[in-house]
Amino acid sequence: MAYNSNENKLLTKKELYSMAWRSLFLQASFNYERMQAGGWVYSLLPALKKIYKDKKDELIKAMKEHLEFFNTHPFLVTPILGIIAAMEEKGEDREAIRGVKVALMGPLGGIGDAIIWLTILPITAGLGASLAIQGNPLGPILFLVLFNIIHFGLVFWGINYGYNTGLNALAALRTGAKTISALASIVGLTVVGALIASYINMKTPLVIHAGQATVEVQKVLDEILPNMLPLIFTLFIYWLLKKGLSPSKIIGIVVLFGIVAKYFGIF
Amino acid sequence: MMLVKALLIALYAGLAGVDLFDGQLHFHRPVVTGAIVGLILGDFEKGLVVGAALELVFMGMVPLAGAQPPNVVIGGVLGTAFAILANLDPKVAVGLAVPFAVAVQGAITLILTVYAWFIHMADKYAEEGNVKAVEFINLAGMIPLFVFYAVVAFLPLYFGADAAKNIINSVPQVIMDGLRVAGGMMPAVGFAMLLKIMLKKEYIHFLILGFVLVSYFKLPLIAVAIIGIILAAYSYYNGNLGSKDTEKEGVSDGI
Repeated sequence: MAYNSNENKLLTKKELYSMAWRSLFLQASFNYERMQAGGWVYSLLPALKKIYKDKKDELIKAMKEHLEFFNTHPFLVTPILGIIAAMEEKGEDREAIRGVKVALMGPLGGIGDAIIWLTILPITAGLGASLAIQGNPLGPILFLVLFNIIHFGLVFWGINYGYNTGLNALAALRTGAKTISALASIVGLTVVGALIASYINMKTPLVIHAGQATVEVQKVLDEILPNMLPLIFTLFIYWLLKKGLSPSKIIGIVVLFGIVAKYFGIF
Repeated sequence: MMLVKALLIALYAGLAGVDLFDGQLHFHRPVVTGAIVGLILGDFEKGLVVGAALELVFMGMVPLAGAQPPNVVIGGVLGTAFAILANLDPKVAVGLAVPFAVAVQGAITLILTVYAWFIHMADKYAEEGNVKAVEFINLAGMIPLFVFYAVVAFLPLYFGADAAKNIINSVPQVIMDGLRVAGGMMPAVGFAMLLKIMLKKEYIHFLILGFVLVSYFKLPLIAVAIIGIILAAYSYYNGNLGSKDTEKEGVSDGI
């Protein structure tokens, strides 16, 4: 499948980069009926306008079809845009175009969640917060710079990769999804382990009087395993989430628990 | 004077609310919000610290597969503002901001449901071949969002700052102390949400490693992140990832 051996390419860097910039507004008309459909058409239009310049009927047909339900990760929409633009340019069958689009949005949404929301955001924001919490103004700046280098790197890499590789990218993107998720999980979980030990504030002031001796409970706990309470508490909430409680309910429980525990002097 | 400050914060909240969905430069995250709101209200340092505390709480609360988490923009803006205006401990501010953020998200969900109307207008313009209108419909979706966030940030700050201060001052000390305790624990919710999605049996040891590196070895976060990346690279080059992606080879044992 040598899809990029297409000699008379219509689209230039100009259209491709215009699509990449427009993809920043993928969710501008986000709604629960068709999710990112409006933004998807908006992002694809630079290519459609050029390809169907003198064929208004074709343009209308393409626009209507691309207004169908669409949802993926906003940072990884550009590889799909690139592939679909290449297919439109080659005059592929509308059914094939729709099929490829639907086949890609799920896996890329999954990779995006794993590497952006679950790994890169917690790491870069965690680094920023670890500086800011000491009153260091570099915290927010470091976060914004690191995060956006990765953000824009992905967006502009994606549009070129998708368009140049065309349908050949399909297999690679789909099989690569699992590997990338696994790698992201390794980094992400290591960092979450560190965050649990660093930023959950739980120390008990309990003192047990046994005859003459007094035992400070927190000291004993620290000798067994430092940060034991934050770890146990996080696993408890994890268990509640697994049981199907909504985050909002859990937040309510934490607030009540904090007040009650304080009242009885446990924390 | 408060009018100007409240307007500036409302302007920022509107932009940040749009950034949550569009542009996504992520200046809407609490670690940035804290600094900006702190700057506007004249206590930059406190803003930084409160923003960082809120960042840790909201870290795991991200929009996964369409599920809407508590609203990070309003939580960050009002949490920081009230912490500075009512002179609250950052942990108390966290305890107050998060329930507020949950309530606001309900309203956002409603807006995003009503938005389906936009897309039906786009259908009509597409049918007519009106490209400019289709493009405009998409971009116009940002206007109601901007207005909503700006108003939701402005009203409690302009009309409610003094009232909030009085209410907060009249809250019994035991409740305030309880909120401080709850605020200190609150990051566990976000971390647990991250675990719910990432944690699999074959990866538990990485979580323990990260925990131990900080608990016993006191390593800073960046060092732990680098170790995590090294481990991921090691797993990749030694081909022992829990779930094999080379399905065509059909080898299922990962070790």
